[in-house]
Amino acid sequence: MANVSESAHGEVAHDGHDVHAHAHPDFLQHHFDTPAQQFDASKLGMWVFIATEILMFGGLFCAYAIWRGLEPEIFDQAHHFLNKILGATNTVVLLFSSLTAALAVRSAQVGKRNATSAYLIITILCAFVFLIVKYFEYSHKFHLGLLPGHCFGHPGMSAAIQNGEEVGTCLRMQGDASPVMPEWVKAVDESGHVQLLSPRANMFFGLYFVMTGLHLIHVLVGMSVLTWVLIKNLRGTFSPQYFTPVDLGALYWHLVDLVWIYLFPLLYLVGKPE
Amino acid sequence: MAAVDIPLVGGHAEDEHGDPHANYLKAKHGIASWMLTVDHKRIGLMYLTMVSIAFLIGGVFALLVRLELFTRGKTIVDGETYNRFFTLHGAVMVFLFIIPSVPAALGNFFLPIMIGAKDVAFPRINLLSFYIYLLGLAVILLSLVLGAVDTGWTFYTPYSVQTANSVLSMTMGVFILGFSSILTGLNFLVTVHTMRAPGITWQRMPLFVWGMYATALIQVLATPVLAITLLLLFSERFFGIGIFDPKLGGDPVLFQHFFWFYSHPAVYIMIVPGMAINSELIATFSRRAIFGQFAIAMSSVALAILGFLVWGHHLFVAGMSEFATMIFSALTFLVAIPSGVKVFNWTATMYKGSIVWASPMLYAMAFIFLFTIGGLTGLFLGTLSVDVHLTDTYFVVAHFHYVMMGGTVIAFLGGLLYWWPKMTGKMHDETKAKIAFWLVFVGFNTVFIPQFIMGSRGMPRRYYDYLPQFEPFHKASTIGSWILATGLFLTAYTLLEALWRGKRAPRNPWGSAGYEWMTDTPPCLANFHATPVFTRGPYDYHLATPEELSTGWDEVEAESAGAHGDKSHRDKTKKNGEAKR
Amino acid sequence: MATEHAHAAPEDDGNVHVHVASTQFYVGIFAALILLTLLTVRVSYYDFGSANIIIALVVATMKASLVAAFFMHLRYDKLFNTLAFLSAFLFLAIFILLTYDDLGVRGRRSPSYITTVDPRTGEPAPGGEPATSATSNELPGEAPKEGRGSAEKK
Repeated sequence: MANVSESAHGEVAHDGHDVHAHAHPDFLQHHFDTPAQQFDASKLGMWVFIATEILMFGGLFCAYAIWRGLEPEIFDQAHHFLNKILGATNTVVLLFSSLTAALAVRSAQVGKRNATSAYLIITILCAFVFLIVKYFEYSHKFHLGLLPGHCFGHPGMSAAIQNGEEVGTCLRMQGDASPVMPEWVKAVDESGHVQLLSPRANMFFGLYFVMTGLHLIHVLVGMSVLTWVLIKNLRGTFSPQYFTPVDLGALYWHLVDLVWIYLFPLLYLVGKPE
Repeated sequence: MAAVDIPLVGGHAEDEHGDPHANYLKAKHGIASWMLTVDHKRIGLMYLTMVSIAFLIGGVFALLVRLELFTRGKTIVDGETYNRFFTLHGAVMVFLFIIPSVPAALGNFFLPIMIGAKDVAFPRINLLSFYIYLLGLAVILLSLVLGAVDTGWTFYTPYSVQTANSVLSMTMGVFILGFSSILTGLNFLVTVHTMRAPGITWQRMPLFVWGMYATALIQVLATPVLAITLLLLFSERFFGIGIFDPKLGGDPVLFQHFFWFYSHPAVYIMIVPGMAINSELIATFSRRAIFGQFAIAMSSVALAILGFLVWGHHLFVAGMSEFATMIFSALTFLVAIPSGVKVFNWTATMYKGSIVWASPMLYAMAFIFLFTIGGLTGLFLGTLSVDVHLTDTYFVVAHFHYVMMGGTVIAFLGGLLYWWPKMTGKMHDETKAKIAFWLVFVGFNTVFIPQFIMGSRGMPRRYYDYLPQFEPFHKASTIGSWILATGLFLTAYTLLEALWRGKRAPRNPWGSAGYEWMTDTPPCLANFHATPVFTRGPYDYHLATPEELSTGWDEVEAESAGAHGDKSHRDKTKKNGEAKR
Repeated sequence: MATEHAHAAPEDDGNVHVHVASTQFYVGIFAALILLTLLTVRVSYYDFGSANIIIALVVATMKASLVAAFFMHLRYDKLFNTLAFLSAFLFLAIFILLTYDDLGVRGRRSPSYITTVDPRTGEPAPGGEPATSATSNELPGEAPKEGRGSAEKK
């Protein structure tokens, strides 16, 4: 049986070579017996990780479900301050990026290095588009004062407006025993109607920012992961026998898309239409 | 079975990991070879070192708590500091010691060996989980320096939102530690699914591995919810999003639901590994196949799943709806059943077995006794009407110490004594170990039996001061804590002493049929010299060959023939190690 | 490009064998996802009452299933991967349901528990207060409604 000494893990460029049952390819780690075992283990590990992410986001969906059940009027009203078109655009962008991520994996599976790189780049660009749209949404709320917690009603996170100038910030290092209550907010919603939001609407915006904020962090992580995979691909690390990082990176990206598939209707779409 | 000599598939000569056939402790040298190791055995030892330090820190806080409670009123510190002491005792013990202890230290070491694998599925992630643990430890120590937290380890809102103390750094430390736990669990799950050696079917898998598997299931499914709980607490504190604040439309009980959805399964992360160790000890020291092996395996998985359904029993008096309290109470009764299966099966295993009273077996017996008390008192607390009187009293404190300390810590100590020769290649002094055991056992009961009594008479928990009628109980409890501490220090000393003064251990000093004893002591770097093929179960004493079961003391004695040696110790072990056929 | 399908029984040579779908197939799935997205947005302009959220979740689940089964290859992977994925949702459901059965009834009291008069003395009972501010429709900063303090009057 061939006793091939192990090189550094998969950094050396090689074309997809014939792997005989007894050869010891560079990408095969020392504690695995076969590439199939390594691949199965990596995929299972990724799916277990995805399960943990679902449970983590799930806690937020639980909070959403409970608050929506107890305070449906607040949710119905507040969601009109989210722009459905921007939300739908983000949805389409993420779905498209999921497609290109899946195509990147497919290209890696058949050994087409350039196509893999191209698809990965498009995926990352879509992520940038998502970020830009999110920036517009967040800054709009920032200016209206549709912010979480005690910052609700304080445009630009100001604590007070004196003589037309901002004074201090509404953020605190810890909650207060007797908090200053959020203010009523009069603002124009996305359909152009002026609405008066009660101070308790900050509950909705708190959930909105925490949920989309956590999702945003995952988008950033996903972009980094895909960039790293792209770099490895450009170095020629992958082959039809070894494309695991592309597969796992794409799986992470699909997870990001999955979370958004649920976030979008629950935050933007469900509520009494005008 | 003799391990069939199949060359390692894809086996290498010496590579950057070291010679796969060399003793793992000697394969590579230097501090970098430890800090950058991907060998699960070395990682297990590093974890063992850290959790022992954590146990020491948490134990010191416990001694301080008990010392303060020795007399009424102020004994050594004021109330505010006392609150910090018990909070830190709880947080350090739960998150830094007990949750990682068995899985990360012993599980990391033995799970791959027991399934005939060379390592866990993701060795680098294993090392990463260790560094994440270190980071979490550092952040918690930082929170200590920043003034520490006095909320209790449960961080209930609204106090944890409003208090000026260092809640942020403490919860961030716990958040970080959660990821270490998740990664360990993920690793174990994938390892058990994909890396079992030929012949190790699910039915044949050792019960310790089943226990680690069930624990991994819980770690992976429950810990993410802890992460989101702490994130929401942080958002509440910093932004005031109001999810736990009634004035803003929130509900503080929601925090408790979130928190206990993780923390109840967490107690099964703590106990299932202890039970898993116990199965191994009882089989070896009764020299019999475990009675109902698959039933015990399934009971571990059942505990893992049922443990997710009962978290509300921590909220019985928090203001939950009556309907919810009734559901949770009924489900809590269900979760006692798998534990019962184990206790009965262990007892049946011992019947007509050939019992050896080595120190690990003493711990195994203590486990059954103490865990049964803890488990039964858990049923009292799960009974809704009784819980209304017992909750938040010392009865609860005694209950969970019986299961966590009388259960997990006792099993952990038993496991350490059992596997110390395998891990280190040295034999510890059994006499000292047994004396230490009795100190631990007597001390432990002296601490906690008075707590059951005063709890049922109304002594509330987490109280700095108390009524005069409780003083004798508190005094007894504190004295017990000193006895317990002495026993624990003596155990630690016994184990450490073995490292430089212990005799060289033979391959299989206890004469066990377990898979891990079929390989070198200490194991070689690749765990086995050849991929093993197992044709019998790990407890099949009737199928194991005499060569597999031989303790090897003869060879060790022959090597040091004529030299000093604890003759009585050798004879006793040798006599007890021989099978009754 | 033609779709290449692996054999139902994977070859046991230790090599990696995966199902490779065609580009058209993936684009087809994408088209279905877009259609479902358009559907869910269109439907959101109509009010179906409490069915709104159910429709939205059903469509979202259909989209998620397509992504999971085909983009994430669960359909062609080992079954246990799907089990791992679904079990997360199962435990999440347990969490939400059992928490909701407490939080969902917050503020509502069982009729048998309502006492407004202490039977021994005939005085108003301290437990007989109406719902707290957290559950009333009063907004913070407003004066509480009349009658809340009446239970305290002797």
